[in-house]
Amino acid sequence: MSEAATDDEVLAAYPNTRIDQDNVEHYRGRLERRLLVNRCAECRLWHQPPRAVCPRCWSSDVRATEVSGRGTVALHTVLHLAAPSAGVAGGGGYPLAAVDLVEQDGLRFTAPIVDMPEPRIGDDVELTWITRDGSPVPAFRPAGAA
Amino acid sequence: MSDIKDRVAIVGLGTTEYSRNSGRTSASLVLEACIAAIRDAGIERDEIDGLCGSNRVIPAHQVQGALGIPACTWWANPTVPFQHQLIEAMNAVHAGSAQTVLVYHGNYRATGVSRSAIADPFRERAGPGFNVLASDPDTFASPVGYAPWAGRYLEQFGVGREVFGKVAINSRSNAIANEHAAMRKPLTMEDYLSARMVREPLTAFDMDYPVDGADAFIVTSTERALDLPHVPVLIHAAVMGQTDLPYEDQVTDLGHTGQQIVAREMWRRSDVRRDDIDVFFPYDGFTIICVRWFEALGFCGDGEADALFDDSWDAATNRLLLGGRVPVNTHGGSLSDGGVQGSNHFREAVDQLRGTAGARQVAGARHALVAPGGMFFNSGGVMLRSDG
Ligand SMILES: [Zn+2]
Repeated sequence: MSEAATDDEVLAAYPNTRIDQDNVEHYRGRLERRLLVNRCAECRLWHQPPRAVCPRCWSSDVRATEVSGRGTVALHTVLHLAAPSAGVAGGGGYPLAAVDLVEQDGLRFTAPIVDMPEPRIGDDVELTWITRDGSPVPAFRPAGAA
Repeated sequence: MSDIKDRVAIVGLGTTEYSRNSGRTSASLVLEACIAAIRDAGIERDEIDGLCGSNRVIPAHQVQGALGIPACTWWANPTVPFQHQLIEAMNAVHAGSAQTVLVYHGNYRATGVSRSAIADPFRERAGPGFNVLASDPDTFASPVGYAPWAGRYLEQFGVGREVFGKVAINSRSNAIANEHAAMRKPLTMEDYLSARMVREPLTAFDMDYPVDGADAFIVTSTERALDLPHVPVLIHAAVMGQTDLPYEDQVTDLGHTGQQIVAREMWRRSDVRRDDIDVFFPYDGFTIICVRWFEALGFCGDGEADALFDDSWDAATNRLLLGGRVPVNTHGGSLSDGGVQGSNHFREAVDQLRGTAGARQVAGARHALVAPGGMFFNSGGVMLRSDG
């Protein structure tokens, strides 16, 4: 693997995202197409969104840790964006889902969904990557689509 | 410290016109509402020693300066939704930090929530406002979160979008009877079901109608209220509710939100019971919030709001009358009186309880429950009463 991206490179790759010291590791992972979620090194609890402290044991030893990207649809919508958003044209429908990740009950990650014209709660999905504005963005597709 | 129940009262009320294009600043509207509230309460400005309003509209020191209020000993500038402002003022009066508090809120139709607002050069200069969507589209944070939860509601309970449509039509029918309301065009279920999707399964009819407008209230002790001209409206119980998963996409399910915490605490603290309520104000900034308030507060079971609405529908007025008696959001709510983060629900509740609601007056109204806020991290509940 090549050397990890610098903070400046991560910020430059995602110019419209509010990246800070608490979530920069997640975005550094995106550049390597690895989906990283914060996990406590002491009590092993995963949490989302990324924070500096474990919400259960208050350890500050939380580490952005790779997840499998497998899970089931918990929430979904299609945004009909009135105006263009970062790297996304206005006018069209933009499908988005929160996925219950297999790593821990109730741990969810929200991302675009692809190749799922009629998603249902409980559908099995897996991670894929799309490119937006030249940078990798995690997305979910039906499990076993590869 | 003595029990806060019924010890603090709302004694003054002021509002402005709600409109799409006031041609004025938000500060100007807030000041108009404040002056109206002070006059309505029958007090002088130098009797006000506390200020509580929404910082993002106009901070307390600017209200004090603009109105020439000589000396304040307490102020706070909580964020929206409107409930924090009133509850903070209640606490301050009860604690003795202030005797008489001017509570205010306003909304300005900002470019961040109203696409057409960008055509107005003053609105463009004023900026996007505070309910702005994230620049990164891959998130349910912000108001976007209500859409996927509305979808989950429909999928989980196997009901149709009509349940949301009935909320929208109820608000609209009430607004038609209210000259103050900004949106009074009749709305049919056919109109609702055929509307363009904004965030599936929600349409513009499911989202508040942004307006320019302001409301203000005078809050003081019940003891002092007895010397003032209006029938005092007592704050009987005031609750806020929030869970440890206060993120739009991490909320466990619809049964584990701030709304359940509000309901549990409200029915523990309030001597006024559900059947005693004469008029009900569930926040309707999004139709799904309103539907869930009926269920969380126990007017029906989870997933049963659609059946409750059918059983409660008054064909003559094309609106809800719970138990054939209790109307809901008689001003037209956020959906049709106007979207101002809930200050209008309180304004109408006070009008109803002191008998000044005009043609909309609920005969003999003594108890009103206002359920402000949303589902994810800012739910609230305030039981108001008057002794007529
Ligand atoms: Zn831990």
